[in-house]
Amino acid sequence: MFMPMLAELSGNLHVGLAALGGALGVGLIGMKASEAVGRNPGASTKILVQSILAIAFAEAIVFYALFLVK
Amino acid sequence: MGAAVHGFAQGTALVPASPEPAQPAAAASAGHGIPQSAQSLGGEGGFVTNSMVVTWVVALGLIVFAQSATRNMKRIPAGAQNFWEWLVESLHDFLEGIIGPELVKKTFWLFATIFIFILATNWFGLIPGVGTIGWGEQGAHGFEVTRPLLRGGNADLNMTSAMSMVFMVFWFIWAIQANGVGGFLGHLFGAKGESTGVLRVLMVIIFFLVGFLEIFSISFRPISLSFRLFGNIYAGENMLDAMSNLVPSLSWLLPVPFYFMELLVGVVQALVFTLLTAVFTMLICMHDEGDGKAHAQH
Repeated sequence: MFMPMLAELSGNLHVGLAALGGALGVGLIGMKASEAVGRNPGASTKILVQSILAIAFAEAIVFYALFLVK
Repeated sequence: MGAAVHGFAQGTALVPASPEPAQPAAAASAGHGIPQSAQSLGGEGGFVTNSMVVTWVVALGLIVFAQSATRNMKRIPAGAQNFWEWLVESLHDFLEGIIGPELVKKTFWLFATIFIFILATNWFGLIPGVGTIGWGEQGAHGFEVTRPLLRGGNADLNMTSAMSMVFMVFWFIWAIQANGVGGFLGHLFGAKGESTGVLRVLMVIIFFLVGFLEIFSISFRPISLSFRLFGNIYAGENMLDAMSNLVPSLSWLLPVPFYFMELLVGVVQALVFTLLTAVFTMLICMHDEGDGKAHAQH
């Protein structure tokens, strides 16, 4: 039952999985960044820079999957 | 450039090219949604596309507005001059807090231009009539516009990749100006941190190898910058299109909440593009800690 279903899967599965992981990563970074700003509002600029950078790296995985895996 | 981008968009099918015929008739009337690449005006093979027209209109509007607002500069600003001063000043303070007062003097013009232009283009694409006025044909469910006169400027991958490539050129120039060629290579390959003896040798080898990873990730920056902006704006246009075609009797109401969301996405994406470019520039132009302290003492 399950194996034939898996065998039917086709298309750009790797992009979907990379997007799933990237979205989870961005969500986690945003969650922790908001928590950090809540604890220390004075450091919000530094936290913003760090989280923006981390989000960029997390998102880049999706583009690696789009371009590098065929 | 245009042909390559177009070829990619065709090749990897980010969006299914044609919906399955099993979908209900209401959804099928939405057809293929918005095409991925901008269409040329004046028939096949024309040079001027509908996205380019929007880009020019927005740029011209911004120039004329800024020039007319600052023609008669007043000591105590009011009206349009006040608006521009508020916009530029708050952008300047914001960027200064992130990349530092020295770098912001040198780079503010690019980042402010990028922010204002992306924001204006994104919001211009939301004006009713953009994407719905143009040439079309009589379909099964009434007249359907297939070649609109205007299309959101950032819903064209050529525009966003051009912006990110211009940024990468200046990123490189500023990096060389800040640290020199040797400092630039040292930034990429040099060992960071304090260590001695065998550990030091190990660290040098590791950081040299990390340098190649660094170059790889830097070379993906323009791609991810341009795709992030294009993807958000194009998906937003597609969603508005789908929402206004989903239930024909409710097409006056359904897109409204999504219009508000697109207003928000327009600001957020302009901010993200500006912030990322600014932070990338700051990272490569940073001097070593020791240099910075010595500099401050002089």
